[in-house]
Amino acid sequence: MPCELRDAERVVYCAIVTTTLSTTQPQHDVHTELAHAGVYRVVVLNDPVNLMSYVVLVFKKVFGFDEQTARKHMLEVHEQGRSVVWVGLREKAEAYAFTLHGWHLTAIVEPDEKN
Amino acid sequence: MKRIEVKLSLPVVAPLLDVIKKAADELQGGLAVPLGTDVDHDLVEVWNAELLAMQNDGVAQLLAMFDSEFFETGMIAFDEENAESILRACAALRLHLRARYLQTFDDESLEIGDMDPDELPEALRMPFMCYVFLATIQELIIQNLDSEILGE
Repeated sequence: MPCELRDAERVVYCAIVTTTLSTTQPQHDVHTELAHAGVYRVVVLNDPVNLMSYVVLVFKKVFGFDEQTARKHMLEVHEQGRSVVWVGLREKAEAYAFTLHGWHLTAIVEPDEKN
Repeated sequence: MKRIEVKLSLPVVAPLLDVIKKAADELQGGLAVPLGTDVDHDLVEVWNAELLAMQNDGVAQLLAMFDSEFFETGMIAFDEENAESILRACAALRLHLRARYLQTFDDESLEIGDMDPDELPEALRMPFMCYVFLATIQELIIQNLDSEILGE
């Protein structure tokens, strides 16, 4: 995964990778391990019901996005039907999906094919 | 603590409450947004139970605002204690109203929301008015209490 990550959470993920790589393990083993752990993305799907202002608020609350980032993701959901709002390890992706369900947004977790 | 008080028109809102209560009862046993098949098999049961409990708590809080005092004064109040739960409850109920009663509307019509309720068939008029009413509550909360919800 490149380190020009899109948000703070991905920076955290990058830090984890860096720490792992700094151990004495050969790099290919580390990559195998990360592949097993898997990189997943949280995708929010469009629904015709929830207000745009509500979706923006939820993104700010759940992910700590600023207004501009939250609006960008909301518009992606609205116009393209989906937006990848977070990428990282599966356990945390599932936790985010659970939280989004608690706000009644439709969120799925799927493998990040780029990683 | 920031608090907003809203005076509602009793003759307009009171009839909506029966429909909202009915929708709340229908929603009690299931999630407004069912879990997808992507959710790990081991997690589904636990998530369902926790999300349903959260959903039912929120809806109960929303309904509790329309108590005997409301029917005397027409007033409801939001603050940082109840704003988030009410906001979520409105979302859950709107999703249910859409799925259960308003399926005949296309998405665009509902998003724009420019339909005249008086021109709607009787069976759709009240659910549609509830749908709009709950959105209005959400807008009020977001416009006035977003900082409290975000903990800023």
